[in-house]
Amino acid sequence: MSAPIRRRRDGRYAVKLDASVRAVLVTMAEQLSPIISPDEPMTRRLFPPAYAGENEQGKEADYRTLVDNALINHHREAFAVMAATAQADILTEPELNAWLSAVGSLRLVLGTRLDVSEDMEAPDPEEPTAPEYALYELLGQLQYLMIDVLAAGLPDEGRPAGAL
Amino acid sequence: MSPAAATTALLAARSGSGVPADVGVPTPRMKSAPVEVEPTVEEITDFDELLDTDKPWLVIVWNDPINLMSFVTFVFQKLFGYSKEKATSLMLDVHHKGRAVVSSGTRERAELDVYRLHEHGLWATMEPST
Repeated sequence: MSAPIRRRRDGRYAVKLDASVRAVLVTMAEQLSPIISPDEPMTRRLFPPAYAGENEQGKEADYRTLVDNALINHHREAFAVMAATAQADILTEPELNAWLSAVGSLRLVLGTRLDVSEDMEAPDPEEPTAPEYALYELLGQLQYLMIDVLAAGLPDEGRPAGAL
Repeated sequence: MSPAAATTALLAARSGSGVPADVGVPTPRMKSAPVEVEPTVEEITDFDELLDTDKPWLVIVWNDPINLMSFVTFVFQKLFGYSKEKATSLMLDVHHKGRAVVSSGTRERAELDVYRLHEHGLWATMEPST
């Protein structure tokens, strides 16, 4: 059985995913994309502060004015690319990078809602958060698969240890 | 050139290389007016900056329970061109010590690095070196 996501010889990526997984990605992207904003509690995690110092509110306000729209556009673009190519069997590298970004954003939003911690165990199936947690796990597995193939394409992957 | 203008220029310069252009994407309404800084506070801030101009700013990535370790390593390699070894070592610092300095430079440079880390969902802040 071949891997769900693998790099082809032509530099593009073959994607074998269940139709239900693809449908979930589209649904989540379409739900989240319109509401992305630093003022929206659900997506607040996508806009971390740059300046954390006590007397840096002015600098932080300047940073927000400068980047918030660019950040919103960045995330929306990634969601749009993922939704548009969700049914594709072959993705270009920029498209797969957009998927990685979009899936990462969805995970951040869900993980924040679920208030996950590093050693957290999956909730019991009857818990109300169980479906959302399962979705969070699914996104993590998908992200892991994408990182695996994309990292293999980075310039210095596989360089012998010790060489700079 | 002010830091803000510099970052704008840097962001604009990058818009041709993979960063989605601002064109054609609807901009949401601002729910609150931009924060206005008291003129006196601004003057004091500028004065502080004058004293600190040659001190580099540190870009710090903080541990968070959501981002995968392999993703954090991948982002460090991709954004900063670090070797897999160096990127992994920085990621482990973030994971075990709670934070790591991942780059440093002028305030403009640090702000751009923070922005690129924010694009990737990492919890990054910047602070002047002491």
